[in-house]
Amino acid sequence: MKRKRLFLPLILALMVMLAACTSGGGNGNGGNDPAPSEGENSPAPTESAKPPEDDGLYSIEDFSNVKKNEGEPIEGGSLTFGLVSDTPFEGTLNFNFYSGDPDSQVLGWFDEGLLTWDKNYVYTNDGAATYEVSEDGRTFTFTIRDNVNWHDGKPVTAEDWLFAHEVIGDPKYDGPRYDSNFTNIVGMTEYHEGKADTISGIEVLNEKQLKITYVQSTPSLLTGGVWSYPLAKHIFGNMPVDKISSSPEVREKPIGFGPFKVESIVPGESVVYSKNTDYWRGEPALDEVVLKVINPTTVIQQLESGSVDLVDSFPVDQYPDNADMSNVEFLGNIDRAYTYIGFKLGKWDAEAGKVAPDPNAKMGDVNLRKAMWHAVDNDQVGKRFYHGLRWNATTLIPPSHPEYHDASNPGLAYDPELAKKILDEAGYKLNGDYRTKPDGSELVIHFISMTGGDIAEPLARYYVQSWQAIGLNVQLEMVEFNTFYDRVGANGEDDPKVDVYQGAWGVGIDVDPAGLYGRDAIYNFPRYASEEQDKLLAAGISAEAFDVKKRQDIYKQWQQLMVEEIPVFPTLYRAVLAPVNKRVLNYAIGDGTGIYLHQLAVSQDKPFVAEK
Amino acid sequence: MWKTVARRTVIMIPQIFLLSILVFLLAKAMPGDALTGLLDPSIDPAAIEAQRERLGLNNPWYVQYWDWITKAVQGDFGQSFRFKLPVAELIGQRMMNTIWLSLATLVLTYLIAIPLGIISGRYHDTWADRFITGYTYLGFAAPLFIFALLMLWVFGFHFGWFPTEGSVTPGTKPGTWAYAASKIYHILLPALSMALITTVTTVQLLRSEIIDTKQKDFITTARAKGASESRVYNRHILRNSMLPIAAFFGYEITGLIGGTVFIESIFSYPGMGELFLSSISLRDFSVVTALVLLYGAASILGALISDLILGIVDPRIRIK
Repeated sequence: MKRKRLFLPLILALMVMLAACTSGGGNGNGGNDPAPSEGENSPAPTESAKPPEDDGLYSIEDFSNVKKNEGEPIEGGSLTFGLVSDTPFEGTLNFNFYSGDPDSQVLGWFDEGLLTWDKNYVYTNDGAATYEVSEDGRTFTFTIRDNVNWHDGKPVTAEDWLFAHEVIGDPKYDGPRYDSNFTNIVGMTEYHEGKADTISGIEVLNEKQLKITYVQSTPSLLTGGVWSYPLAKHIFGNMPVDKISSSPEVREKPIGFGPFKVESIVPGESVVYSKNTDYWRGEPALDEVVLKVINPTTVIQQLESGSVDLVDSFPVDQYPDNADMSNVEFLGNIDRAYTYIGFKLGKWDAEAGKVAPDPNAKMGDVNLRKAMWHAVDNDQVGKRFYHGLRWNATTLIPPSHPEYHDASNPGLAYDPELAKKILDEAGYKLNGDYRTKPDGSELVIHFISMTGGDIAEPLARYYVQSWQAIGLNVQLEMVEFNTFYDRVGANGEDDPKVDVYQGAWGVGIDVDPAGLYGRDAIYNFPRYASEEQDKLLAAGISAEAFDVKKRQDIYKQWQQLMVEEIPVFPTLYRAVLAPVNKRVLNYAIGDGTGIYLHQLAVSQDKPFVAEK
Repeated sequence: MWKTVARRTVIMIPQIFLLSILVFLLAKAMPGDALTGLLDPSIDPAAIEAQRERLGLNNPWYVQYWDWITKAVQGDFGQSFRFKLPVAELIGQRMMNTIWLSLATLVLTYLIAIPLGIISGRYHDTWADRFITGYTYLGFAAPLFIFALLMLWVFGFHFGWFPTEGSVTPGTKPGTWAYAASKIYHILLPALSMALITTVTTVQLLRSEIIDTKQKDFITTARAKGASESRVYNRHILRNSMLPIAAFFGYEITGLIGGTVFIESIFSYPGMGELFLSSISLRDFSVVTALVLLYGAASILGALISDLILGIVDPRIRIK
């Protein structure tokens, strides 16, 4: 949703353990942003949800991310939004404090960021505020539109925007937002450490104008690098910072400046919104929106009976059985995520805050890793396990970032014979059923994968079998989410027994992968580093990378380098699907569609009900 | 009797204390902590480490335990990391939902169990009895979460007689009649789903007790004295057969609090059971420990209630 955090861990099955997902701050599908920004061209509404082909496979290319409009909108009307989750939402209803994805779904209806972005995730000047960048790219001047007001009628001011920065930078702040985007503001670190009373890099020019100076100018600033959620100072100004998140003004009567106002909340289970007639983009078409939490096990029935018109996420594995549900249209989009197999190539050096690659690591031979990639048939995995709604991944920048994903790079193809040949040539000789190391000693590879969902274990077993088929003795262990990340090294203490692991990342809107593969990134779980990569990653956020062509070329090289070095290899890209009741008009998922929530309307009073 | 209550309460204190140490140790033995799942590369690991330090997660367990227990005895169970709310307040929010649901289930359980048990016991080896025991076997065999889903599908979605999620209709004002009615309406289906399954133990118990009592000598005596059949059943047999049921009552309450976990999640009904499960997977320790303590205290209390009831129902048993 409208969060700007860069990378989030994904567990393998979205449906199960949503709780675990939210611990990572969202499941990273981000495809349900109901208020995307204006793009210069929205994708042409193609015919969506084609009937399944003969082989029972589907393709994301057959889905549109924009709802077909059938019928005329009625005056007003009420719409029900299903928040699919097996846990209630937490109720930290402020963008400056929330941490779970369910909360962000609740927030999206009544609040929004001051900046919007286009389909390439670059900030536009179509939002509630506009911006200008100085010559050196470090100083941003923001101007909030005059008609942007809080729900209580008070104007949204530059002071409010500054206040959000002050609260998040406060050492007593208890939310998860104080990150590299904040430390990149001039004077923020001093303020955070209590050495300064004000943030020297932020200046309020007048009631509606704010100037922020950043330490380093990078293209990433334009793709989610600015904190754009103001905090109402006239409400929270006198509260101690550590009391704000539990205050009634966040939990019971939350405030925003979005298209709808919160009318009432039943904690954890439902919210009723009424339209905000004073919304800056114009008066919303709907009178009322009801949000209710529904269990993933009942989502199909809720949709069929018309109990909900929209849902925030849909378990893709249930699509094949319900593709012909008559009262909904399925929208689809490419998820900003990929599943991957990682190889442990070193350790984390906590002292230095750097990865420490070990040239003698068991998986240290690139030929071994190459063979393991060639040995698995991800195309078939996508077809057999996911009906084509996940598909073979080629590089580490997913096609959800069309500007930077290198579609011409094929990755390594499935070729078990080639895999065997590579191993033979590298000296891994067959000794009985399995191969030995080139020095003749036994080779046993330990592989861990996460539990969750029906597919997790069979999928992991498939990989083990594929590797055994080329003569590698791979031992599988299935572990639960927390244990998994503990052992691969989320706390810097890598379990030396782990050699190979299967994980997933939800990637942020900015393409820079340094947070996952950089030398000083603790989440660089393979613990891979090379000088060539350092150069490319630095170049990707340098001043010259403001030139999109140049930046594309840099990340093209990086994707190729990862295909050659294989610290990890991507296995699957994935689709997000969003069923929408046919009476809903003006709705789209994804970014930069130019369709906003205040336009959302319905063509009749009651939802369509599925015909059996 | 009050002496007993007092004495049992005093014994409860070391029990709960022991339980709290055990729970605390087990919670700490789980891999990871509340910050492990927070994998966000844009946050400096040093900042996460600082937060760990601030939350005291790096201290040895006995220091953490001491910090926790000293506050807990003052009624401060700490702050939920995930909800950013004091644990007591959070549990308070959820507890009322669970209590209402459990209460409704309990009432329904006995409303179903007692007539069925009596019919089945009194007319055993008839078709009615076979039908009822058949139902209890089904009940034993059917997993609660599958059965609840089935109920939800049939009565919630197919017939549309009951609401399918939540504890109250969105938008109703608290304190009004409509609100109370909506609450009851929302509880009915989950409570019934659970009652239909949990009741089978009680039906079986009552049935076998009645059959057992029927053959006792004093019943023959009562009959010989010319007591009417209804008097024999209502005064002699039923009263004696109810003893084990009454004894079970206290435990039933504790069982219900735990048993609502599935029901709460299937009906998206925010209660304690759901809170417990999700807090475990998110390593929200302060909530987990507080809840386990609560469950522990509830089961100890339940046992106490059972003993007291037994004393009241059966004059032969008197707790000294």
